[in-house]
Amino acid sequence: MQIFFILAIPIFLAAGAFLIGKQKIFCTLNAIGYLAVLVASVMLLRKMVLSESANSYFSFIYFDALSAFFIFVISVIAFAAALYSISYIKKDIDSGVISERKAKIYYILFNLFCFSMLLVPAVNNLGMLWVAIEMTTLISAFLVGFYNNKESIEAAWKYIIICSVGIIFALLGTILFSYAFSLLGDVKSLNWSDMVANAGRMDKNILKIAFIFILVGYGTKAGLAPMHTWLPDAHSQAVAPISALLSGVLLKTAIYAILRFGIITIKGVGFAYFGNLMVLLGIISLAISCGFILVQKDLKRLLAYHSIEHIGIISIGFGIGGILGVGGALLHVFNHAVTKALMFFGAGNVVNKYRTHNMHVIRGVIGTMPFTGFMLLMGAFALAGMPPFSIFISEILIICAVFLKGYYLVTFLLLGFIAIIFGAVVHHFSKILFGSIPKGMSVVKEPLSGKMAFLFLFVQICALGIVLPFIKKDLIWMVQKLFQG
Amino acid sequence: MQAIILFGVLASTYLMVIAKRTPALIRYFRYQSFFLFLATFAVAIEERQIDLYIIAGLLFVIKVCAIPYFLNRIIKRMKVSEDLGLFVNAQLSLLCVLGFTYLSWVFAERILAPRNEAQAIMLAVAFFVVLAGMFLMVFRMTALAQIIGLLVMENGLFLLASTVSGGMPFFVEIAIFFDVFVSVIIMGFFVYRINKLFTHIDVNKLSRLKG
Repeated sequence: MQIFFILAIPIFLAAGAFLIGKQKIFCTLNAIGYLAVLVASVMLLRKMVLSESANSYFSFIYFDALSAFFIFVISVIAFAAALYSISYIKKDIDSGVISERKAKIYYILFNLFCFSMLLVPAVNNLGMLWVAIEMTTLISAFLVGFYNNKESIEAAWKYIIICSVGIIFALLGTILFSYAFSLLGDVKSLNWSDMVANAGRMDKNILKIAFIFILVGYGTKAGLAPMHTWLPDAHSQAVAPISALLSGVLLKTAIYAILRFGIITIKGVGFAYFGNLMVLLGIISLAISCGFILVQKDLKRLLAYHSIEHIGIISIGFGIGGILGVGGALLHVFNHAVTKALMFFGAGNVVNKYRTHNMHVIRGVIGTMPFTGFMLLMGAFALAGMPPFSIFISEILIICAVFLKGYYLVTFLLLGFIAIIFGAVVHHFSKILFGSIPKGMSVVKEPLSGKMAFLFLFVQICALGIVLPFIKKDLIWMVQKLFQG
Repeated sequence: MQAIILFGVLASTYLMVIAKRTPALIRYFRYQSFFLFLATFAVAIEERQIDLYIIAGLLFVIKVCAIPYFLNRIIKRMKVSEDLGLFVNAQLSLLCVLGFTYLSWVFAERILAPRNEAQAIMLAVAFFVVLAGMFLMVFRMTALAQIIGLLVMENGLFLLASTVSGGMPFFVEIAIFFDVFVSVIIMGFFVYRINKLFTHIDVNKLSRLKG
């Protein structure tokens, strides 16, 4: 039942944004709406974990523990972004960067974007899954090109073209999956639940080819290297709350799609095929992002390359499998989303204040914006994987899983890249956070709603670093069962 | 009948690859979509299914009429050069694409295990159209050519879907049509923006964001 609330609230809010003229009233209403979505998603997750079964409605909506988990992650970040938007959009209106009317468009698009992302984990039909993911691209392209200057339009164009081509390959993969299914001669269906039940009897060669297309297609959207080229452009040019959503959860919805097809592939051809491909792409992503992080000059692009790194780690985790691998990867999905959202909010504040993305120019953030500076400092360490923050826990789980499986070369590469990236992050952020304050910069007071968004995320980063809320038959155990052949 | 339609699809794709100007490209795209429409319509008459009639109708309205009209209007309103900007000249393009034709035949015959010769040919043509669309996207420089390349890829997928599994479920097919239509409109909107800000639509020169 909660699923209908979760899907309906963003639609109503989009309509509300269209109808309500006063921005001041609506932005608060928006945040309250997403709080409701968050509460509903927690209830949904709880129900799914306790009941240990899958639910479906009219064979259109289908969800199990895996879907409920992704819906939960999306609603956490959507709530934080809605909260942060209040102060961010107000500042943009006050400084004359955007008009009131443009702010209205922003809120309509924001809600439609959240709706399309929440729809992805809820649908059963793999064709509709494709449509929902394409919808996220089309809507967010406007949010990437929102400021309508040369850079943002270029970024939006690359984003929409590269992701559309990628998604065409995903559709090709989907058609091949349905072909493999139709060869069985039972029923004509694109439903995931039907396919997974018959996966063992499908033609192995076609499944293999089809999964490659899926991996290339949705991998483009997920930002897996070498199909990642749109990602740094789009993330650096989007409005700050949207950057957080793009990096925090949009990439994860594409990972979710890969996992759904991956589960069919595992049941059909065995785990090794799926696992090796995921690990390979993960290592390539780590290697490429590592190089770009070292030489990066642009603050938001730096964070974007971090997303590629973490998507690589997640994909390695799922590729290794088992309770440690899948568990670590699931936790990493959540931890990376929260941490990256915090960092993009911080970067948004910094860019607003200094009016540049260039890290050679930004100096002394701790001095000019004590609160944001402190949060960025903590977030940078969390992002790099320092204990006691949450990313450390999920990374160590994945590293253990890789090591225990006997992939020593992968362990070595993983540890090496993480160490190099750690150094690069500390170097870049110490430069911009400390140092003398540039002339003419004054200390600013930060609005409460912005601070609330930071604190909301920061509490989760710390909490999951210290306590792992596991019970005996829990979420992770249930999800990793899905990945068994 | 089916052979003629497939031949038409193939021929219009080759014509697209050697086209040098945008209006010609759009015209050949219209031919290709028209042949797809004929193919769907023929199946619809054979199987007497109302769903297939609706899909054929949508194909005609959206891909044969609306999208080419919309793209032509963009060209007229923007007054940009109609030259496509070929990275690879027409002869070499044709050679590459002939190579693709052979590759897709090998792929269709060896890997996909088709039921009979006719299905193998259809699979090969469908894959070839997808590859040709990708070729257009990569080796033509204007933003409009990229949109058309994407549409050609989508046409190939439509053919593939109708070949291998008798089409997608009805409402998925409708959703995909809607999606394609909306994405073309949105891309057209961005082409306007690019033209306004940069005063050209040569995507090869969009290189402000790097590293």
